[in-house]
Amino acid sequence: MQSPSDKRLLYVWLALSAITLAQLALGSRGEAASLTPNAAITSSAVVMALIKVRFIIREFMEVRHAPALLCRLTDLWIALTGVSLLGSYFIGRMI
Amino acid sequence: MKTAASTASNPRAMARGHADDGRFVPGQPDMWAFVLFEALVFTSYFTVYVIRRTQSSDLFLQSQSHLDLRVGVFNTLVLLASSWFVARCVQAARERSFRAALNNAYLTMLFGFVFLVSKVIEWTTEIERGFSFTTDEFFSFYYFLTGIHFLHLLIGFVFLGVAVYQLQSPARRSQEMVETCATYWHTIDFLWVLIFALLYVMR
Amino acid sequence: MSAAAVEAAPAAPSGSLIRKIAWHWRYDEKRELWIGWWTLVIFYNLYGVLFFVLARTQPPPEPSLTPAEIVQWFADRHYGLLYGYALVFIVGGATAIMNATLAYTMRRMSVSRAFAYSYLVIYALATLPGMLIMGVVCTVGAMRPDRDPELMSWLYDFAFLSFEGTMGVFLIGSLVWMTAVLLDKNRVFPKWFGYLNLCNALTEVVVAPAWIFKRGVFAWDGAIAWWINMAVFVTYTAVFLSLLRKMILREDFGTGPLPELESESTGALEAAS
Repeated sequence: MQSPSDKRLLYVWLALSAITLAQLALGSRGEAASLTPNAAITSSAVVMALIKVRFIIREFMEVRHAPALLCRLTDLWIALTGVSLLGSYFIGRMI
Repeated sequence: MKTAASTASNPRAMARGHADDGRFVPGQPDMWAFVLFEALVFTSYFTVYVIRRTQSSDLFLQSQSHLDLRVGVFNTLVLLASSWFVARCVQAARERSFRAALNNAYLTMLFGFVFLVSKVIEWTTEIERGFSFTTDEFFSFYYFLTGIHFLHLLIGFVFLGVAVYQLQSPARRSQEMVETCATYWHTIDFLWVLIFALLYVMR
Repeated sequence: MSAAAVEAAPAAPSGSLIRKIAWHWRYDEKRELWIGWWTLVIFYNLYGVLFFVLARTQPPPEPSLTPAEIVQWFADRHYGLLYGYALVFIVGGATAIMNATLAYTMRRMSVSRAFAYSYLVIYALATLPGMLIMGVVCTVGAMRPDRDPELMSWLYDFAFLSFEGTMGVFLIGSLVWMTAVLLDKNRVFPKWFGYLNLCNALTEVVVAPAWIFKRGVFAWDGAIAWWINMAVFVTYTAVFLSLLRKMILREDFGTGPLPELESESTGALEAAS
């Protein structure tokens, strides 16, 4: 019962898990420096999370087969979330 | 969305895996309205959190160092696996192999349950170490975000129950309902992916 | 209604607003439903004006004020509180018509009557702490501004905790409506409105930390416990008012599924539900 779609889902799950492990490596970097803000780590963590989110929406939730409007709305939300998270992080640090 | 309405009558099986032909909205379009609205509400929570965090970054970093990143990674992997199983469940149901669909739905529940248990263990450990909801602003956000997500996950079990109920009897087996329930489950998965990055990894 | 409906109704006049209203009053078989709907629209707006502009008890002030600041708070809006809540108490009974109209939608559904009954009872209950008790307590504070500051801060806390205390009522009320919409086979409301009820219910949960925090985003004036919750609630209210209007237009006073409107093409979201 191993169909092409099953294989594709497996690869998606492997990719998602790999990104999560990359985030583990990212988060455990510089134990001593873990008490100082780090824009590079923050931006990478947020961007990696958003890539995962888009993977889940496109592949697991099958939005890649959905009408263009749903694709655009979900992408719009991802973009909005990215801009508000990184925007408030960088603007908040300046205040 | 107009095209969604016109292709909704096409057999779902035709659409599977072949994007050339009929595009379709997975599950009830109504559930997608919920997903987008709820996702916006969470974006607003996350934004408030990041803004508060930048205002006292020392305190947040100090408290964040008391969380175990490995537990967060474990949570994420478990929830991603549950999402994978529910995606497989939808595929199997579409291919009308309902036995496999049910098994995947049970695996989804199992991994969802592992997540719940590990979350409760994590909370208990933090409380035992003296970090509670009112300890400081970071921990308020930590318990708030993980708690409201936990609540969403509990509701997710109701949806999984509906999917299992649909799959069990040949008299029901509404593919649309199964997809609707899966869509809800994936939503709590991708919201957790963001919560994980914001609570455990960012600095 | 029945006498007017049997009479052959002349065509609706296209003239002045007063003539239109007179025509609807005489011949429109949905007269009572429209009265209920307009009551909802007018009173939600009126409550907005009374609470936000006249009494200025919303958006809520900080819970962390000192007794001296609380005395000042009452002094700042002395007449606003007295006149504002006097008006609230005059029109407060309108909630009965509002709740009855909303419960009517559930009676039109294919679900058990128990849904409409629970909805009526629970929102009748919400009026008490959310509006009447809060109004009495604020008025008591405003009435004698020279009271002991300690007593004034007691009144202040009582008023706002009483207001916040309606959250559980709105939580269960939304869940009752959600379940009714999702189970309904008469298509009174689209299914997405059922799920929107769930969104509203979940943001009510978020108000609970206001019981624990005196400052910050989770306090009763906080970004999460008040502002986001209010944004969701206002959206929810605007949505159900427009869906209710549509429902009244579609109402055929039968017991089966509600017919779709012929004039308007159905939206994409409803088409598939």
